Amino acid sequence: MLQREGIGVDMVVGCSGGSLFSALIALGYDAGAMEQMTLRLWARGITGKLYYPSLLRAALPRLFGFNQRFGLVDDRPIMTSLHEAFGDKTFADTQFPLYLAATDMQTGERVLLKEGRLVDAIRASIAIPILFRPWEVGGRLLIDGGAADPLPVSVAIREQCDIIIAMGFESPYIRQYGSLTHLVSQATSIMINNLLKSTYAFYNLAHHAEIVPIIPELERRIDLGDAHQIPYLIEKGQQAAETQLPYLRRLLASTKP
Amino acid sequence: MEISFDHHGHVTVAAIAGSLDALTAPQLIEALNQIIAEGHNRLVADMSRVDYTSSAGLRALLGALKEARTQGGDLRLAGAQESVKKVLELSGFTSILKFFPDAAAAVASFSG
Repeated sequence: MLQREGIGVDMVVGCSGGSLFSALIALGYDAGAMEQMTLRLWARGITGKLYYPSLLRAALPRLFGFNQRFGLVDDRPIMTSLHEAFGDKTFADTQFPLYLAATDMQTGERVLLKEGRLVDAIRASIAIPILFRPWEVGGRLLIDGGAADPLPVSVAIREQCDIIIAMGFESPYIRQYGSLTHLVSQATSIMINNLLKSTYAFYNLAHHAEIVPIIPELERRIDLGDAHQIPYLIEKGQQAAETQLPYLRRLLASTKP
Repeated sequence: MEISFDHHGHVTVAAIAGSLDALTAPQLIEALNQIIAEGHNRLVADMSRVDYTSSAGLRALLGALKEARTQGGDLRLAGAQESVKKVLELSGFTSILKFFPDAAAAVASFSG
């Protein structure tokens, strides 16, 4: 929508799954190319394979050893996709400032990544606890940025942005449980959904910056590996964006010199 | 945005229509501050004809809420459309002030 309307962007902040698209936007990919890349790289089953050594370590920690670098899901397919998409590109290759949020697993604090390889930053930002191994960047063991700040509008406020388009969504809740990963996913969704709302509420009211929310309502549960639902997600995102367009146009027109 | 006031005993209903956003917030703030300064601090914001609200609109409402409560009164919301209500819920407004299905119910709540 922004591309179609000729609305330029001065900076991008990404978190969790949003880190992927934030990086692509900052590298200058157009919407069509991003959609095609997503459909090609996020293939069905990309997160479906369990990492069996982890199961052994979880079941028999003293025998097989257990540490904080634990992940239930085999992340090799994701790493292959990330390398294919981003190669050795770094933050320095972006067309405008990009910040990606992750969480320090030891301290719980938000970590803002703004230099180094994009593959490492994105891998850290999407490292859902327990499901994916934490990722080490700059000597810190990092997990999903959503654990500390699922809607990092504060970064845009700090960088003195006057108009902030905040894109996020609440994960629909699971109704039937068929696996341990469902349980982990539900617990994570509950915490992150509430944290997202709290974050949005606070920054909405705490500062003069105009925050335009693009928060699609998802009527169905989307699991990590549901690549076939990507067209649905894109459609819902587009709808949510279009509802904000009339106001966005008026707002931008009022700020023109 | 349009705003008009109607008095129901000791309660004042502010009927708001249009968009509450960065472009209209100053007008809303001025109107609400004026009415509160005149001593009308028991307010109902009738949101039934508000079709959009942004963070600036929310801050304007919050400012009026604080001012009304400081003066011993309150600001209560009524009749928010579904899309607006979602924004109010997401931004935590539903946890800090009272909502009613319509202005009449909101006015009546001041008597309880």
